[in-house]
Amino acid sequence: MMTYVSCFFLGGFILSMIAVACNPSPFYGSFGLVAVAGFGCAVVVGSGGTFLALILVMIYVGAMLVVFVYSAALAADRYPESWGSGGVAGQAVGYLLGVMVASGFFWKEEYGVLWGFGGSVEELAPQRGDIGGVSWMYSLGGPLLVISAGALLLTLFVVFEVTRLLHRGAFR
Amino acid sequence: MTPPHFAFSATFILALTGLVFHRTHLLSALLCLEGMMLSLFVALSLWALQLDITSFLASPLLLLAFSACEASTGLALLAATARTHGSDRLQSLNLLQC
Repeated sequence: MMTYVSCFFLGGFILSMIAVACNPSPFYGSFGLVAVAGFGCAVVVGSGGTFLALILVMIYVGAMLVVFVYSAALAADRYPESWGSGGVAGQAVGYLLGVMVASGFFWKEEYGVLWGFGGSVEELAPQRGDIGGVSWMYSLGGPLLVISAGALLLTLFVVFEVTRLLHRGAFR
Repeated sequence: MTPPHFAFSATFILALTGLVFHRTHLLSALLCLEGMMLSLFVALSLWALQLDITSFLASPLLLLAFSACEASTGLALLAATARTHGSDRLQSLNLLQC
């Protein structure tokens, strides 16, 4: 059972990344990225990292993809290309063939029993591994938090400078 | 490579080829960059989870913070080009040099 579930999640991860990479219009591309984030969360959960998957859902689907979909309105096509139109479908088939050839190259017979993700998945454990790791980040990894918060603050000012269209801005 | 390793390696390579070969919209390139960061997130978290290194489980979160920086800068460039050039098609970016 776990084999089928993990096979579904890993296959969906690759297929939805093909859906992003085969260059549809940005509306459909951001929808494909939602699917990539969902399947990636499922892969991380299957390996035992529940808190990491929660953070991934909150940051991606909650914050970042909303901004991406809003920006897709700036880049609106008059005739959007979905995955059914000719060039996009051809590229998707090409990528799919490439992935199948590569998986046949890396396939070994004993991997039939290794579809499970590994890692320590103990059901109903009081303390999972990733909770400990994240609490490590808040206790001993304080300087790293300060550095990444400083990077985010710097990015805020970079965004202000780039989007300002006065004579002092980056785009004149 | 076990199947999860093959999965995230394949998604990284797929997003990289999508970034390299398709350049009609700037936003499509940014989406492919986000896909690359997402596969790196899955790779880092699977690495730390499978080897039970709990102290390295903070690294995917920090990677996610830096990918948020990258995405916001890219979207700011997208908004600026959409305001100066009218669209984000990369063909029109070298027509009107300013």
